[in-house]
Amino acid sequence: MDVMPAIRVVDLRKNFGALEVLKGVSFDVHTGSVVSMIGASGSGKSTLLRCINFLETPSSGDIFIDGEPMGFRSDASGQRRLRPLSEVNLMRRELGMVFQQFNLWPHMTVLGNVIEAPIRVRGMSRKQAVALGEECLARVHLSEKAREYPARLSGGQQQRVAIARALAIQPKAMLFDEPTSSLDPELTDEVLSVMRELAGDGTTMIVVTHEMAFAREVSDRVLFLHNGLIEEEGPPEQVLGAPKSERCRQFLSKYLH
Amino acid sequence: MSDAFWQSVDLSTFWEYRQVLLAGLWFNVYVFACSATVALAVGLAAALLRVNRSWPFRWIGTVHVELFRNAPDYIMVVWVHFVLPLLLGALIGRRLEIHPFVSAVIALGFVYSGYFAETFRAGIQAIPVGHVEAARACGMADRLILRRIILPQVVRRMLPEAVNQFVSLFKATTIVSLIAVPDLMYQVSMVIATEMRPLPLYTGAALTYFAVIYFVATGVRLLSERWRNKIYA
Repeated sequence: MDVMPAIRVVDLRKNFGALEVLKGVSFDVHTGSVVSMIGASGSGKSTLLRCINFLETPSSGDIFIDGEPMGFRSDASGQRRLRPLSEVNLMRRELGMVFQQFNLWPHMTVLGNVIEAPIRVRGMSRKQAVALGEECLARVHLSEKAREYPARLSGGQQQRVAIARALAIQPKAMLFDEPTSSLDPELTDEVLSVMRELAGDGTTMIVVTHEMAFAREVSDRVLFLHNGLIEEEGPPEQVLGAPKSERCRQFLSKYLH
Repeated sequence: MSDAFWQSVDLSTFWEYRQVLLAGLWFNVYVFACSATVALAVGLAAALLRVNRSWPFRWIGTVHVELFRNAPDYIMVVWVHFVLPLLLGALIGRRLEIHPFVSAVIALGFVYSGYFAETFRAGIQAIPVGHVEAARACGMADRLILRRIILPQVVRRMLPEAVNQFVSLFKATTIVSLIAVPDLMYQVSMVIATEMRPLPLYTGAALTYFAVIYFVATGVRLLSERWRNKIYA
């Protein structure tokens, strides 16, 4: 029996003017699995991630979240049309996004950041949202920082709050866009260990990363992107351990030596 | 010391008329409050046009800002009160008159909306785009993002600059006596007409304006500092 993937990407293309960043990318992410995307900068991995929740509008191709088309839908005459923003926003709640730059809202406390979307987007009562927010902060081990402002936290703590904020919208999958790339090495581990725990809990995740050891340990599948195409994909021991493609070997050699 | 000096610092006449003068000062406060509201609302609208993605909106916003920021407030008050009703009246074929208070509020409100638009715009553009993307990624709609994510940060960032503009606006309310709004300066002129002692009355008015502006502006700066600075590391 064919199980519906949590996220299905079909022949996704994206141009910025004449520049073709994604040239037809297809893959599935099954519920509870972790997919890591690796590749050199400019290979299109961040753009791909941003297309999935429509922070970038794909030029063509389809994205399905639990079988539901994201961003586009066919009208009565079968023509593909961009969904209105209100529908895109509804779909976005199904995807929690964590950014390289954390992007916490500095005028709100840590708890304020986490409960904002549950209250304003999910329509929860404040009491429910606070209970959920505290639970999410506990998952990232920051319960004691709930009343602080983001400016008072370290980079690693800010990124963990950002993870809690994304978890609080109760998404079907989490998207991580280089979550440790702007952190000092000693702060990277605390973020990766939280992500490891999420993966262990069965959270569906797509992770754009340069942390090869993490990708190897946590991922079910690894995609290697090159020039807007998936050059190689497979289980981590294959892609990271014995890559078939020459480009992937070259790319990895920079990380392993 | 000359007589003229002592005359100008003897504020007993000013004090004697304190009730009339205080009523005048309240008019300054009313004009200030109303025109500040107009300036903030119109200024925010113009700023949102200025940062709009499509150029016709940006263009309208720019014209608004340049038109009003470069119009002297003195001329605008006179123009709105005397010329605007003639133009509008000619358009609709009826005699029109605008109440001096309303003219003052429109003129000052629009002139200062030009300044506030630029302050808002700078504040909006200083918000990292990532903050907006994070909100979008959570499924927040644009209006909600403006209200909950952008404006609260913009207000904190623009407050010091805005206080300076509020001070200028309050000072500008002293010219509304030109079109017979009974503000402090207007009342001072009335008292001078009967008492014939301009020196102490003008000095008193100057000191009153100074004291009001100084204490209110300093108070606002002090009280808002902690609240504003929470967002900075």
